Amino acid sequence: MHDDPRFGRFFVYLSLFTSAMLGLVVSDNLLSVFIFWELMGFCSYSLIGFYYEKEGAGNASMKAFMTTRVGDVFFLLGICAIWSVVGSVSFVDIYNAIGDGKFNNLYAIGIPLATLAGFSIFLGTVGKSAQFPLQVWLPDAMWGPTPCSALIHAATMVAAGVYLSLRMYPLMEIGHLTTLIAYIGAITAFGAATIALVQTDIKAVLAFSTISQLGYMVIGIGVGNYNASFMHLITHAVFKACLFLSAGSVIHSIHEQQMPKMGGLRKKLPYTFFAMLLCCFAIAGVPFFSGFVSKDRILGDALYMAMHSPVYIPVAILGFGGALLTAFYMFRMLFLTFFGEPRDHHIYDHAHEEHISWNSNVPLLILAVFTLGIFYSGSFTGQGEVKLFGEKYEWFQTLIQKPEAKNLAHFKDYKKEEFGFEDTRVKDGWVKAAYDPNYGLPEEEAHHVHVAHKIGAAMSVVIAFLGIFIAYLMYITKSMNPARWTETFSGWTKALHNKYYFDDLYINKLIQGAMLPFNNFLSWLDMGVYDRFVVDGWEKVNRVAYKMARWFDDNVVDSGMVDGTGASVRLMNVVLRTVQSGKVQMYFIILIVVLASYVWTLTV
Amino acid sequence: MISLGSYLAISFALFICGVAVMIARKNIIAILLGIELILNSAALNFVAYTKFVNNNIDGHIMSLFIIVIAACEAAVGLGIVIRFFQLRESVHVDDAAQLQN
Repeated sequence: MHDDPRFGRFFVYLSLFTSAMLGLVVSDNLLSVFIFWELMGFCSYSLIGFYYEKEGAGNASMKAFMTTRVGDVFFLLGICAIWSVVGSVSFVDIYNAIGDGKFNNLYAIGIPLATLAGFSIFLGTVGKSAQFPLQVWLPDAMWGPTPCSALIHAATMVAAGVYLSLRMYPLMEIGHLTTLIAYIGAITAFGAATIALVQTDIKAVLAFSTISQLGYMVIGIGVGNYNASFMHLITHAVFKACLFLSAGSVIHSIHEQQMPKMGGLRKKLPYTFFAMLLCCFAIAGVPFFSGFVSKDRILGDALYMAMHSPVYIPVAILGFGGALLTAFYMFRMLFLTFFGEPRDHHIYDHAHEEHISWNSNVPLLILAVFTLGIFYSGSFTGQGEVKLFGEKYEWFQTLIQKPEAKNLAHFKDYKKEEFGFEDTRVKDGWVKAAYDPNYGLPEEEAHHVHVAHKIGAAMSVVIAFLGIFIAYLMYITKSMNPARWTETFSGWTKALHNKYYFDDLYINKLIQGAMLPFNNFLSWLDMGVYDRFVVDGWEKVNRVAYKMARWFDDNVVDSGMVDGTGASVRLMNVVLRTVQSGKVQMYFIILIVVLASYVWTLTV
Repeated sequence: MISLGSYLAISFALFICGVAVMIARKNIIAILLGIELILNSAALNFVAYTKFVNNNIDGHIMSLFIIVIAACEAAVGLGIVIRFFQLRESVHVDDAAQLQN
């Protein structure tokens, strides 16, 4: 980075981004969230296009900006819809309104207004968090510098979308959008994981894995596990930032992003390898790592929902399938990069030997330490089954409480000025919201939940190790040949390389095929109709009006009034000049005449 | 006994003469003489009225004032005329139509 041009500009954008992110998190209303949201969008745009000498970077920044714009427009519409009902955009007022049932029996074009508003806001999430229909921009966002990929496109900004949906969770709940959200999340999680299987660029793998993990967070919202979604947001932020920085460290060391040219870097980059290994364990869902705790909670709830209603079965299947693929592609990346024989000796020999330094690998190691599950949950799976500590074993779940529509009436007693000093809210609902292994359910029902979670945890462990094992067979022992698989499924491989043809669909079909003719029509309408008839016609009207105005100005104002004033002054001047002749006798005559006439008027 | 009317008639005649001189003559000194005539007619009027109407000495005092003022005026006027003559070598009143030199 240091040798790059525009070094200062990079930090300006990054600082602006950080302040916008902080602003978004401290905002207590949707409008300021939207403002900071857009600010982040701008910073993301500027940073993706940071190396604008490259054409790809410019196009990628444009693509990211325009794609997220689709979601943002809907987000704004959602804010308008909420404001029309609640009369406020503050979160507390919205919760109050939902608790009071203000959204009941309100319809817009035949759809419940809560659904419409919730869906619009969720589309904002879809755009920002790169969910299923609008996921195309995030892989291209890796054109930006690696630190900004780690910070913005893995840890913070994309999580802002999930954060928004979490803040608006009660609205999603009363809008009956949770099933849709779960499906979108499941499709994204699985689809992005499949694309990541065939990527050879180390950052592209991470980009798709980010989309996939965001999909898991969205599943978490969809299956109603608010807290797990939040936890996954944070654990993912940590391990994905670490993964991106590790990838950046590798790229910095060998000046190469293509994994087929790497290999055997374990000896050259031991600290980076260690950090990446820990993060890969975390993202794959190996027990005792953060990813296991949070992802297992999401998948456990998905499984529980699937057991209760068949609608959620595809969600659970896609979720577990995605977890298998995640474990596989992450270790594929790790094995290709760090294990085996160096595939390109020129690159390997020129790789910088790694020394421990504050600038490159100490931050990685710090982040790697925080991928341990113990920082997020004191129990084995995050469900409270196997307790590692005494009473306070689920501090994360105690801290972050789910605002449920049925409990929202408690917000009524919320007093802003007192909040923070003395909690004036009604206590009952909140005491219940504090961590309860039974989720406030009766013992009988809670038993089913626990069973589901235990099965889920067991499946997660099996799946994680299975994925790692397959990767081990393919890339370390070479007992399975990946090439045979790609040949057998060549059609699929091609589709995966083309990211399921979404870019083609959007750019060639939608933009070139549909939007461009529409654009041409609009331009014809503008140039041929508005310009020709309205603008030019208005010009003719103006021309006549101008002639009339000019005539009036010339004849009445100029000749009559301005020149008339001059002429009258001139006339007066002639009279007065004649009077003031300088001839004393004339003055005297005038004096006499005036006096005489005065005397005459007095007498007569 | 000479009546008030006779005085006024003479005064009037003097006034008319003075005005006529001031209007008709172009010589500045002659105009000054016309002014003297007018002043004298006014003085004569004062004397006549004070004798025939209110019988005190107010009119006399006024006429004495008028004589003094006439003398002053003649002195100042003639001074201006001399200065003017030095500038223009003329005492014609129409030569004095300009404010500037």
